[in-house]
Amino acid sequence: MKARIIESENVMKIVDLLMEKYEVIAPFSGLGRDSFFERVTDENKHLIKLHIPNPYYPPKRFVFPHIERMMRIRAGKDKIDIEPEYNVKPLAIFGIRSCDVAGIGHLDRFFLGGKYRDCYYEIRRKSLFLVNMVCSMPGVDITDECFCLCADTGPAARELFDLQLMDIGDVYLVVAGSMAGEEFLRDPIFKKATQEHVDRRRAILSEVRKQFKDTTSWFSATVRYVSQGAVLEKTWEEIGNRCLECGGCTYVCPACTCFTVSDRKSANGEVERVRIWDSCALGGFTRMAGGFNPRKAVHDRRNRRFYRKLAHYFIQRELSMACVGCGRCAAVCHGDVGMPAVVEMIRRATVQVEAK
Amino acid sequence: MNEKTEKNIYLPKIAILDRVVDEIKDVRTFYWHFEDPAEQEKFKRFLPGQFAQISIFGVGEFPASLPPSPTEKETFFTIRAVGTCTEALHRMKPGEKFGVRGPYGNGFPMDKYEGKNLVFVAGGIGLIPLRSCIIYAIENRDKYGKIQIFYGARTPAELMYRENLSQWEKQAGIECYLTVDRATDGWQGNVGVVGSLFKKPGVKVSVENTIAFVCGPPIMFRFVIKDLLEMGFSEDNIVSTLERYMKCGVGKCGHCCIGSAYVCVDGPVFTYRQIKKLGEDI
Repeated sequence: MKARIIESENVMKIVDLLMEKYEVIAPFSGLGRDSFFERVTDENKHLIKLHIPNPYYPPKRFVFPHIERMMRIRAGKDKIDIEPEYNVKPLAIFGIRSCDVAGIGHLDRFFLGGKYRDCYYEIRRKSLFLVNMVCSMPGVDITDECFCLCADTGPAARELFDLQLMDIGDVYLVVAGSMAGEEFLRDPIFKKATQEHVDRRRAILSEVRKQFKDTTSWFSATVRYVSQGAVLEKTWEEIGNRCLECGGCTYVCPACTCFTVSDRKSANGEVERVRIWDSCALGGFTRMAGGFNPRKAVHDRRNRRFYRKLAHYFIQRELSMACVGCGRCAAVCHGDVGMPAVVEMIRRATVQVEAK
Repeated sequence: MNEKTEKNIYLPKIAILDRVVDEIKDVRTFYWHFEDPAEQEKFKRFLPGQFAQISIFGVGEFPASLPPSPTEKETFFTIRAVGTCTEALHRMKPGEKFGVRGPYGNGFPMDKYEGKNLVFVAGGIGLIPLRSCIIYAIENRDKYGKIQIFYGARTPAELMYRENLSQWEKQAGIECYLTVDRATDGWQGNVGVVGSLFKKPGVKVSVENTIAFVCGPPIMFRFVIKDLLEMGFSEDNIVSTLERYMKCGVGKCGHCCIGSAYVCVDGPVFTYRQIKKLGEDI
């Protein structure tokens, strides 16, 4: 790893460099805890903030938009034209956190793996440049809900980024994770790092790792219980009872992939076929024409979501758990059945059974 | 057509509706062909038990099983008007255009079943997906052992594919038994659920070296499975095809995921042993 450094006061120059080639997305701070990813312009550039809580609305939408037009359909007198629409604009995300990088890694394996490749995702992903920011400030970058340590995705991503930044005091340590990243590091704003810088990075990281809550380190046991079907129906019901069926957890999840497809008529007589994020928390998710719904009760659907994320079968299939430990579901859930709480509930309930 | 478009798994191909035939109440068969003959050629390599996604432009897309056997010349769908999309298809007239993409799913492994006896048990419109394998097996008669068909509907008027049924009843080397839940005027045949046919005098359901295909409404499915298991069928030799709400057909949209399977890519054909493990209502 050829490490480079850049002075803290120069770190935003990276954004200028990116803007020469890419449309740039970066994190900004709102009121209170609020933070968000937004397109960078010359007007808002000075407001970019690297040390803020990770935005609730994940950067997933820049590769897999909330609503995406797939094709336009024009029906003429005796001809129907179908024109697919692809987004080929090169995009860079500056300051994406390690959990969200892992989320994109999961989407890569899901949308591009298996028998069929999703071309809409593939085209966006190919022109995406990721500048990962390592979380190093407990209480600011790292919140109470964070459990990337337990999902093994952070606080410093090990792969899939093009560049990785870490604040080590007066300077940022920068490493490249791809050829494009290496190319980028040739710019004279980056200077060679010394052994002292690399040691400092390691020392800070090992200190930061101690700052996470400890109640979330039960993932592996939970994966085992869920995979073996050892979770009691009663436990799923309890989780289901707490779920308000709002779908919030799935909309903020960087690793959720479900979508629905809808035809919309536009004013000029054209039809646009769009895909929209969908949620397994919603009652109609599996309802078929005619009304039959194989997944009725809410605890069935909760079971479904956590099975999909935690069952060994799927982890093997996608080579990663569909949970990256970002903690967003825990932050937005009104019923307190986000991933960490569910992991804990399953672990406790199953422990009680074993103890009997 | 550029390379990107070629690889777009969501892009429907234009199909033209040739003619429409009424089957039973609310169920019609739609004969169609692709506008592009090359597409027709490609599509015709489907397997019995596979399905396709039908697009009614401006309304939506839905999955439908393929009732024709790949050995038949014409391509068609048999569809019950039950929701927005299927109702829109029912309103279409010959000559009108819609979209089709596929075929998708695993299909029945008919080549693996060669040398075996085949028992088909269908209820109501459950005959639609099984029709494909029945015709396929008849066309390849020498590759299979005994062929037995058990089919039931609520009333005589609700028996599907009437022409095929009377042909199968007459055809040598095939046993075809029909039943209805409620007889109406003129019905001479059996009255009772499909399972009642198994115990009829003179009927001997083949069990040894036999594959049972089961498709029908959930209640029929449960009872028939019970009967077949009692007769001595192993769970691996009972196969069925599942239907689920689907948006993509290619394992991406997530709607048809049950247990550890995506019905669209891992199914829709599953053995009863697999279905039991999925853990959802059928």
